[in-house]
Amino acid sequence: MHSFQWVEPKTLTEALDFLSMDDPDIRMVTGGTALMLMMKSGVFTPKKLINLRTVQGNSDILIKDDHLCIGSLACLSEIEHSPLVANELPSLKAVMKKLSNVRVRNVARLGGALSHGDPHMDLPPLLSCLDASVRIQSKNSERLIKVLDLYLGYYETALENNELITEVLIPLKPDYQSTYIKCTTRSADDWPALGVAVNLHLNQNILEDIRIVIGAVCETPTMLTLTQDFLKNKTINDSVLNEAANIALTEINPLSDELGSSEYKSHLVSVYLKRAIKTIINKGANHE
Amino acid sequence: MSDYPNSLKEVGQSFPRKEARHKVTGQTNYTHHIKLPGMLIGKIFRSTVAHGKIISIDTSQAKAYPGVFAVYTSEDIKTIIPDPYYGPAFLDQPILAINKVHFVGEPVAIVLAEDIHIAENAAQLITAEYEELPAVYDEIEAMSSDIVVHDELKPSGTFPDLKHLHGKKNTNIALDYHLKRGNTQAIFDSAEHVFEHTYHTQQVMHTPLEQMVSVADAHQDQVTIYTASQSPSFVRLEIARLLGMRENQIRVKVPHLGGGFGAKLYIKLEALVVATSLLTKRPVKISLTMEEQFYTITKHPTTFKIKSAVDKNGKILARRCDVWWNGGAYADIGPRVTQKSGFTAAGPYDIENVEIESYALYTNRPPSGALRGFGIPQLVWAYESHTDQIARALNIDPLEIRRKNILKEGRPQATGTIMKGAEIEKVLESVAAKIDWSKPFDKGTGTIRRGRGIAIAFKAAVAPTTSTAIVMINADGSCILSMSSVDMGQASDTSMAQIVAEVLNLNTVDIKVSQPDTDMTPYDMATLGSRSVYHMGKAVKLAAEDAKNKLEKMAQDLNLSKPYHFRDVFIKHYGMQAGSILGFGSFIPSYTPPDKKDGSTLNATPFWMVGGTGVEISIDTETGHITIDRLINVVDCGNPINPKIVDTQLSGAAIMQLGFSLTEKMNLDAGQVTNASFADYKIPGFNDIPLVIENEAIEAYQIDGPFGAKGVGESATFGVSPAIANAIEDAVGVRINELPMTPELIFNAMRKAQQKS
Repeated sequence: MHSFQWVEPKTLTEALDFLSMDDPDIRMVTGGTALMLMMKSGVFTPKKLINLRTVQGNSDILIKDDHLCIGSLACLSEIEHSPLVANELPSLKAVMKKLSNVRVRNVARLGGALSHGDPHMDLPPLLSCLDASVRIQSKNSERLIKVLDLYLGYYETALENNELITEVLIPLKPDYQSTYIKCTTRSADDWPALGVAVNLHLNQNILEDIRIVIGAVCETPTMLTLTQDFLKNKTINDSVLNEAANIALTEINPLSDELGSSEYKSHLVSVYLKRAIKTIINKGANHE
Repeated sequence: MSDYPNSLKEVGQSFPRKEARHKVTGQTNYTHHIKLPGMLIGKIFRSTVAHGKIISIDTSQAKAYPGVFAVYTSEDIKTIIPDPYYGPAFLDQPILAINKVHFVGEPVAIVLAEDIHIAENAAQLITAEYEELPAVYDEIEAMSSDIVVHDELKPSGTFPDLKHLHGKKNTNIALDYHLKRGNTQAIFDSAEHVFEHTYHTQQVMHTPLEQMVSVADAHQDQVTIYTASQSPSFVRLEIARLLGMRENQIRVKVPHLGGGFGAKLYIKLEALVVATSLLTKRPVKISLTMEEQFYTITKHPTTFKIKSAVDKNGKILARRCDVWWNGGAYADIGPRVTQKSGFTAAGPYDIENVEIESYALYTNRPPSGALRGFGIPQLVWAYESHTDQIARALNIDPLEIRRKNILKEGRPQATGTIMKGAEIEKVLESVAAKIDWSKPFDKGTGTIRRGRGIAIAFKAAVAPTTSTAIVMINADGSCILSMSSVDMGQASDTSMAQIVAEVLNLNTVDIKVSQPDTDMTPYDMATLGSRSVYHMGKAVKLAAEDAKNKLEKMAQDLNLSKPYHFRDVFIKHYGMQAGSILGFGSFIPSYTPPDKKDGSTLNATPFWMVGGTGVEISIDTETGHITIDRLINVVDCGNPINPKIVDTQLSGAAIMQLGFSLTEKMNLDAGQVTNASFADYKIPGFNDIPLVIENEAIEAYQIDGPFGAKGVGESATFGVSPAIANAIEDAVGVRINELPMTPELIFNAMRKAQQKS
């Protein structure tokens, strides 16, 4: 390991001062669960690490203007155990139970989990599916973008070197129900080979609206727009679901890797897509 | 502590482990904690090619890096050890690569610095130029390939059972074992049914959570080694040989280990730390990362072709086994695995005509050695899958076909050795009873299908091997057991203390077990192959009895009558609380090496291990995912010294094999392991543990074992993989013949079967 600088800002403003547009080797660290792995394997060699754990606050979970707003420094376990989250977005609570393990959830922060850009993460597809946005701040500006637009490629995000995520805003839509289910192909706590997030609005058996975002199989979370369009205003039955699954397969081109071949992952997408939709429709539940 | 009991009071009790409290409260010292004044840390520079001639190694930048103490290659090693090759079976492994590299990850150079990060950074500045040679990775290809991994084979002659190895050229075959009993060919020609199947196992690793670590403080006349090793006595012997020193000039100290499973046997880092400590005149420590462990020792991948002649009733008349063991670039203990497991490759069945061909092969993969079962799990995978395939083809119940062929007490096994003290039948029947084999089974509905499977296996112990022990009674009546068996997590210290306590009528908790230190603790061959309780247990019992006899003699001479306190004997004899009594015990079981021509022996093993497995599984037919609903492990381990420890050994062994069955596989790309970390090499986690695990050590008594006990560390690994494969076929009608049995593999097999029908 090469030596690097370690700084401990007290506020986010101070933290932003340390970042540099031109220097990708200056990074922030919160839980460090992903960064440490990258540093150990030599993929990332930092010049300076900015420890955000010393920053007070910015971890509130609250409702503001029909949005559930979560500060980017909230621990995943805080989200997991928040009564507000349980009440307003049970699918977000449910995802935590199987997101890595309790030790990781106790230190990993929401902002870090979203900034990492590893396609095998659980929160990006779910939050994309929930139509969430992130507030991104740099020293001199602030912008709001959709979580879905945050991911540009394999470990590649829309974040500039001088930017950090300060807040996640999830619109609360009482008519909608959502779920996220994932599939591992080795041990149960492995990286997912596939994650499927579904968020839908059902009106008397008619699917008035549906959002589907697939994680892990492609380089970024992928919204299945053709499949969504097909399903809109349909009554769900097995043949409609089968047709939807076939359309889904035209929209993705899964990567073959150690978690499974492209063909097998395609098959998993068709199975899990149907399961995710059925989970919501059959149980009327907000989570698996 | 007064008189001697008539019945056992310490043996058979589930005492808590002696070391448990210290471990869970962070008070246990491991080799990783050792820091010596002036100590340097070594970081290894490794080969990036699988097979190649070393053209040049440039260490100049590393040497110039601020803080680097020294950088060495094999040229430097040779200045102090002219012939720096080691290995238990072949002297094939150089301390650092000489002229050639044989696998990706082979140590080529080493950087030494006081700071580990400096050593690490400097190691990255070393460059090496290779003339790449074609490489061979597959064990079958290695049999006939023009690519030869080693120019010449050099047997080491350390172990008496491998004395027959001889040097050969132009071959990758390190050892071939042949067994011939009866006339298989004649039977195959005339039999009603002949079945032939081929099975494969993958390369996996031990993944001890305490990674390999060694420290040496070497001087011209005295070398001290602190090492996480399962075989301190062997390390002493081999380092003494390398340095041309006497055994009393080499001191090997082994603290508690955080897991071993066969990875920490023989020489791993010890020769390198000793050589570099001599060169630098400073203590040297090397600690491997988890990633580096994947390039140090692994489990043999295998191909096993098995062929059986069977009559219409399911009686097996003849069997031929061809087994190819992928030993990787260095033989390590592979030849012994090949031979010992060769004895039982035909399975625990009574077969008149048997032929076994077993080959240990060199390839350009990371080396393979012993891993919890010494090759047996690879064999059982094949022969117990084969048994079920025969049963299904002949429409015979899988339990019935096993009953029909099972090897019974008093009958000769394939080598000709008469079976004694192996409760194979009892174990099989217990598995069958626990899994309610005779009752109807819920096969599932819809997309979830259920199945069940069984497997039965046995294993010959490694022989001949020696164990010795010392029991010392202090003047206050307290007692210390000295032995070189290593407690690497299996709790052998506790079991051994129970044996001493039983003999001396003391309390187990009051027996101190000293840590292996070859200056203090007497010789033990190694902690491997489930040998400790039987071999060392026997030596410990003899040592305790020796001490007891001496004490009683002393008491008699003093006209003390029972009951008396030990302390009173000392006070009366020495005039004060002073003195010691030493008891010594030594045990080497008898063994007859196999005949060179037909592989037969009338005394193949001092004892037999028997393990049976039953599983109930559910398969998600839409994805191929398996859930283990119930896992049953039954063994014959003789009379358990500590039932609770036996129970945890059974669960631990079975769960470890579950990983090798379902999730673990080292992926190689041009010889490079592409998933050498826990992020990408997946051992079972808590959520993979079967909901129901039932363990049983059947009532048994090993006639010559200490208090009727024998080994148990490996037995529950044997049957796990084939029992699952058999359950898969029961559930969804497809046969899986390679490991790991991933959901994708199962799903594809199901899809293929569907397309056929």
